[in-house]
Amino acid sequence: MEEGKILDIAHISFLDMIKVMISSSGAANAKGTLIRNALTTAGKMQEVDYGSFDEFVASIDNASNPITQIEGKATHNGDFVFGLAKCPFGPSIKNYTQIFEKLPEGYADFTTEFNKTSMITDKYRIGEGAGVSPFCAVHQPMRSAVAEKIKIGGKKIQIFQLGCKSGAGKKGFADKWLEASGITKEVVDKVLDNNMCCYYIQIM
Amino acid sequence: MKKILIVDDEEDMIWSLQKNLNHESLKVDIITASSGEEALKILAANPVDLIITDIKMPGISGLELLVEVKNRYPKTGVIVMTAYPSPEYKNEALAKGGLHYIEKPFDINELRKIIKRVLKETSLFKGTVAGVELSDIIQLNCLSKTTTALAVNTADHEGIIYFDKGDIVHAACNGRVGEEAFYTILCFEGGTLETRKHANPPPRTINQHSEALLMEGARRMDEAKAGGALTAGEVDSWDFDGAITPEKPLTSINSEKTEPSTASPKEAQMVSTKEEQMGNLQELLTEFTNIPGVNTACLVGRDGFLLDSVTIAGTDAETIGAIASSGFGASESMGNQLGKGMLTMTMIEYENGPVMLAPVGGEAFLVIVADKNSNLGMIRLKIKKHAGDIATTASI
Repeated sequence: MEEGKILDIAHISFLDMIKVMISSSGAANAKGTLIRNALTTAGKMQEVDYGSFDEFVASIDNASNPITQIEGKATHNGDFVFGLAKCPFGPSIKNYTQIFEKLPEGYADFTTEFNKTSMITDKYRIGEGAGVSPFCAVHQPMRSAVAEKIKIGGKKIQIFQLGCKSGAGKKGFADKWLEASGITKEVVDKVLDNNMCCYYIQIM
Repeated sequence: MKKILIVDDEEDMIWSLQKNLNHESLKVDIITASSGEEALKILAANPVDLIITDIKMPGISGLELLVEVKNRYPKTGVIVMTAYPSPEYKNEALAKGGLHYIEKPFDINELRKIIKRVLKETSLFKGTVAGVELSDIIQLNCLSKTTTALAVNTADHEGIIYFDKGDIVHAACNGRVGEEAFYTILCFEGGTLETRKHANPPPRTINQHSEALLMEGARRMDEAKAGGALTAGEVDSWDFDGAITPEKPLTSINSEKTEPSTASPKEAQMVSTKEEQMGNLQELLTEFTNIPGVNTACLVGRDGFLLDSVTIAGTDAETIGAIASSGFGASESMGNQLGKGMLTMTMIEYENGPVMLAPVGGEAFLVIVADKNSNLGMIRLKIKKHAGDIATTASI
């Protein structure tokens, strides 16, 4: 059997569970549940303090950085803007769509819900248009919460989610966080040409 | 089976009372009316044993209804309730013949006890005793250590004396209260009496011991007799009806004043305005926790993240919000799938009390956690009243 046609039931169950959550208690509740789970996972990560920004970037390259541990290697594109080439949920989505052709119903509503302004998306500077699939509701808050465990030169850092790209190539931009970070849409658009996810790190 | 008529223009309160009074310990038939006018129509066709009425209603107010009931159906007891308590309302309600005056929110168990007592009284013997002195009746009440009100009526004067476990605690007569009112009543020349068993005594205005009061009253009666101002000796022919409903109905005290006093509605309006002007979310949530039995009021985003809360110590509001969002979302989804439209409120009843959820704006909902004896109707009223203010204050 062709490997791509083998169902990864762990991933499939997760994707279907999201669908069940959406239909049984609404997209908003499902969004909250996924974000809470993501924050709980992030809370388990070890705290780390890098001596410099270069040291921080090096830890990404050698995959020892806590952020890298949850999403894989990102690339620094200058001016503290990072691009992530591979979406950590990409293989799951690919596996699912290879078997069932399209993602479960309700996912579009869920993504719209994630992009709405809310207390939690404001707190972690995520969503606001940068969500292109329900998995962004797991990935983005988890990364931002992991960043709270990281210091550079004794200073806290925080992440601004600037944009994201779907498997179909559709780009989403978070105008609110673009403005807050001072990074232009053009820069992010360019980063997303070669990446699936784009974020900015601010050293406090 | 005894019949109780509940009169309130707030359908939530009717709903709540109907639900809570349909209790096996009471075994009563409950009829409801949403206005004083409707209540009078019902009474014309169906005699009832007890009326529980709100004061503030459009059209005939609860106090006006009380007067009408006392005039037309003197055997029917009346309990008056209000969400806008004031001493004026209380005195007026009790003076007009209300058996009890209760302030919303109230403990439903206490109301059940009151109803049981009142309905039991209506099953006792009734009759008329003539030729007794008022002071004898007062002494009888003192000696029996009863809690009651004794309404006294002559052609020209009306008064009421309250007893709390045999102590004379309050008297009111033609605008006077306290000892002077008591002495005035004691010098009435004949008339009728009505006892109102278990009537709630108002705040104490008389501190003298009963014996001292009666002695001083006797002295004043003698003085009056000597002076010819009042023929106290003529106070010797009272018709005493020992039941709560007299053969001769009393005309209401201050019967010329069928409208509630102007001060009270103003006071009520001030309270209402003050509440409307509350800009602070915590204060708005405290509106709920001020209801007896309500221990948690949370404002939660639809995603389950807590926006604000007022809780008793030790309560994990964050967790309540996360858990409640599932219940809220599930209720909303069920309504959508059943074609029931927008969710306006939902209540989940547990062994130890209910949890009520209600949407606030488009992005949040309220979670009210209460004990099992809490006043559900009041919670519903407060939700309806404050949901908009909360949404505005929280900018959601």
